[in-house]
Amino acid sequence: MSKSIKEALESTFRDVQVSFREDNRMAVTAENESVLPILRFLKDAGFDHLSLISVVDWIEDNLFELCYFLTPYMQNDDEYTDRQKLHIILKTPLPRDEPRFKTVIGLFPNAEPYEREIHEFFGIDFEGHPRLTPLLLERDYEVPPFRKDFDTRKYVAELLDSVPPIETKKK
Amino acid sequence: MDRNQITKWLKSPAKMANKYSLHAVYFCTGCGIIEVPPSITARWDAERFGIIPVATPRQGNLFLITGYVSVKTLRAIIRTYEQMPEPKYVIGFGSCPINGGMYWDSYNTINHLDKYIPVDGWIAGCMPRPEAIFIGVTHLWTLIDKGMADGYIKYREYYGAYRRNQEMVLGKLEWPPLFPLTDDPRGDEQ
Repeated sequence: MSKSIKEALESTFRDVQVSFREDNRMAVTAENESVLPILRFLKDAGFDHLSLISVVDWIEDNLFELCYFLTPYMQNDDEYTDRQKLHIILKTPLPRDEPRFKTVIGLFPNAEPYEREIHEFFGIDFEGHPRLTPLLLERDYEVPPFRKDFDTRKYVAELLDSVPPIETKKK
Repeated sequence: MDRNQITKWLKSPAKMANKYSLHAVYFCTGCGIIEVPPSITARWDAERFGIIPVATPRQGNLFLITGYVSVKTLRAIIRTYEQMPEPKYVIGFGSCPINGGMYWDSYNTINHLDKYIPVDGWIAGCMPRPEAIFIGVTHLWTLIDKGMADGYIKYREYYGAYRRNQEMVLGKLEWPPLFPLTDDPRGDEQ
């Protein structure tokens, strides 16, 4: 099953690199424009659960790497066991300056909170997302806090350490 | 009843009643709350010490801050604390409310909780055992006896300073001040 998915991907899309970390973990690296077709292809092939979207900040290469994690739900067919074991990571690089990407909510509605979170913590804009409002954070940050160039110690020193202790009158 | 305490009961019954029926607000911040369910149930049985968890802040007078305080939780803590009826006592539980603990350089964790609300006692450790809660509570009894657990009075007196600190981190607070704002934290010195 995993081999047939690999062959199908490589024959259908150009510029796709498929590799296996383990027998049941497949990593697919693709260009930006072919991500949505690949996701649609994989969804039709039975990988209908988007379990996570995450981002890696490769600051030295000046790149973000957007990762989509796909697994299949249980299905009552003969290929169920093989397919159930396979996890797919779909990776795509984004430029670090003004990162933008298209939303995948049309394919996977559960992508909405992940994309909001990524927008909040990494500052990546998702075109077509209905509400990119703050999800978890309470304050505004100049640099989104999960980027590697966010200096937490400087931030703590400037904000939290500058709050004065309460001085009480001695009785 | 302990015979030695009869005079205390007669002298200040309200204080004694307060002391022996602490109602803890069941408010969960961070990981320390994992120690609270065993403490209040059969294994360690906090009711021996008169502590019982209550559902709403308006019924409680003991506030255990169990674990790290994020910025978002700080807002909820302040709202909860201001709703509690006086007298009210706050215990910081674990290392993180004291000075940030292992999250001292986090982008989203408050380091010194006593800059934002008054704290009567600390229980250090990561995590403290349930026994430590009871040691902390017996210390709190001593403080109440001596009239030293006066965090809520301090909050009233220096409300301006507390509110200023809260707004430094949280931005403009959306609820009106609970007490008159005193600009100078040293109050009526002049």
